[in-house]
Amino acid sequence: MIVKKIIPAIGPIFAILAALITGGIILLVIGLDPIRAYSELFKLGMGTYLGITESLKRMVPLLIISAGLIIVFKAGIWNIGINGQFLIGAILVGWLAPLLINRTPLYLSFLISGLIGFLGGAIWVIIPAMLKAKYEINEIIATMMMDFVAFNFTSYLVKGPLNAYPGRFPQTTIIHLSKRLPHIPFTDIHIGLVVGLLLIIAAHFFVRRTTWGYEFRLLGENKRTALHAGINVQKVIFVGMLISGGLAGLAGANDVLGIKGAFQAEWNPGYCFAAVPLVFLARFNGIAVIPLAYFFSFLMVGGEFMSRAASVPVYFVHVIEALMLLFFSVIEYIQKKEKLFWKS
Amino acid sequence: MEILRTIFSEPFFVTLLGGSLTASTPIILAAVGENFVESGGVLNLGLEGMMIIGAFAAFVVALITKNVYWGLLSGMFASVSIAVAFGYLVIYLKVNQIVAGLGIYLFGMGIASLLFRIIFGREFPVVQGITAKTPIPYLSEIPYIRSIFNQHIITYISLFLLPVSWWILYKTSYGLNVRAVGEKPIAADAHGVNVYRTRFITVMLGGLLAGLGGAFLSICDLSFFVDNITQGRGFIAIAIVMLAKWNPSRIFYGAFLFGICQSLTFGLQIVGLDVPREFILMLPYVAVIAILTILARNTHLPGAFCMPYERE
Repeated sequence: MIVKKIIPAIGPIFAILAALITGGIILLVIGLDPIRAYSELFKLGMGTYLGITESLKRMVPLLIISAGLIIVFKAGIWNIGINGQFLIGAILVGWLAPLLINRTPLYLSFLISGLIGFLGGAIWVIIPAMLKAKYEINEIIATMMMDFVAFNFTSYLVKGPLNAYPGRFPQTTIIHLSKRLPHIPFTDIHIGLVVGLLLIIAAHFFVRRTTWGYEFRLLGENKRTALHAGINVQKVIFVGMLISGGLAGLAGANDVLGIKGAFQAEWNPGYCFAAVPLVFLARFNGIAVIPLAYFFSFLMVGGEFMSRAASVPVYFVHVIEALMLLFFSVIEYIQKKEKLFWKS
Repeated sequence: MEILRTIFSEPFFVTLLGGSLTASTPIILAAVGENFVESGGVLNLGLEGMMIIGAFAAFVVALITKNVYWGLLSGMFASVSIAVAFGYLVIYLKVNQIVAGLGIYLFGMGIASLLFRIIFGREFPVVQGITAKTPIPYLSEIPYIRSIFNQHIITYISLFLLPVSWWILYKTSYGLNVRAVGEKPIAADAHGVNVYRTRFITVMLGGLLAGLGGAFLSICDLSFFVDNITQGRGFIAIAIVMLAKWNPSRIFYGAFLFGICQSLTFGLQIVGLDVPREFILMLPYVAVIAILTILARNTHLPGAFCMPYERE
């Protein structure tokens, strides 16, 4: 029984190892010391209190975004515009949350801000969702285009009308430390982590155990079957994309309320580039997302520390993430082949 | 009135038209390549990553050798080597094309930024004085439209490629093979067409042209390199191919429209109109979405689009 549960984890672990080894070779080729880089990465990212705390904090947006992605990816809908939806949610919260916090009880304002973030992300995905649902227009292209629009649009807003400190570095009103998301008792991690974990578990059971989730799974497996089964495919696509966009916006709300305290100009954390490989490595399994999200956020945080300590640019982490995705796709192919081999 | 007079002034037209053609060149090149790839039944989502790698390699080599053509060649070489990996993954290993494409996109973006930091640190060098435009005699002196005939040689080549690739794809036996492989690979195989090899060649061709487009962008158009230099041009090229319904000669309209949106920034600056920069930068993407909404209601995808071919 236990063995059966471990076998699916072999693929991702191999992919991670292969990517780390290839990354090391790349470092060697460009004249950097891979052993020093990796030891700094693991020492600073996993071996220090700061590294662990930061990784757990950075894990939150990844968890929230992945909760949306496992739902749509399971249905074969590729919402790649997470970064843009995140930014729209974040800037709306950065603008409205300071106003709310002064007027409503703190916890109610958190709740409303979360809702605003969700709505912002969902609104940003409406056009691609409609194009995909009604006219089957490639959602990868449409969401990607909306990404660039979002980046420029939020950049305009924060430098122009929403800039709270004209003449200084453009950002929205900074939320006072005491008015941000409270910490989990005895830790330095805000309660977003609890929300993120609950959301990913909820998404996991939504996809696997509910009738609605079944419609998503069926659509992902075979569109024709889904149509024959009487599923309203258009509705499933539309709702799915709205949920995933909304959750990306909610992740933006989390970052503003829990980590940054404001929406700053030139801020684009690019969680999409970590979340997409991560969700694939988890094979769209919400429970598997949790350890992988920690690992990916450790890579991000450790990568930043490493870039200072071992002068390996942060982009090295992007390369590793991409390699993981590529290796994982190859390993999936090999595993599929082997299954056929054993059957015949 | 004053605004109208400046908009219809000669410098504005010259900047706009010339700039549009230059800006549309990388898109045309990438889109023509992608047209072949997609007609063969493969979706290359890694196009953006290939363009970035091409742009980077071309920039570095052009900076060192001070020669445009070495730069362009190495851009193409770098991009093709990535295309080989992509083609092997999706055609021979039958990996999900979307996953592999996204992987190549992320890899290209990451590795170019990584290597740029390693080589240049915090500096942002510029390639200067190595690119020259080739004016066409007499035509490049016509007022208002003179800048159209004063372009880099690659721009002329890319425009020439449009009808040529239409002819190859729709009038030659090679083009017929490509389309057959994309439409009904089983039938093509039965006729003795090597499905894998045909697709692999289109993917390499796509990589070659994407690399040339990226190289043109970094050394001829911008003359510098920044992170994520293509700014979605690869994805726009994919969208344009779909809008052109796999007819290469129609690619021009989409690409030129993108070019106009791009060069409007400089055009409006010359006229002195004060539109926030961000809004002008948004234009190309808004245009793509608008046109997708209006036009692409019933595009016909190749029959075996995005499906790996498994030989029995």
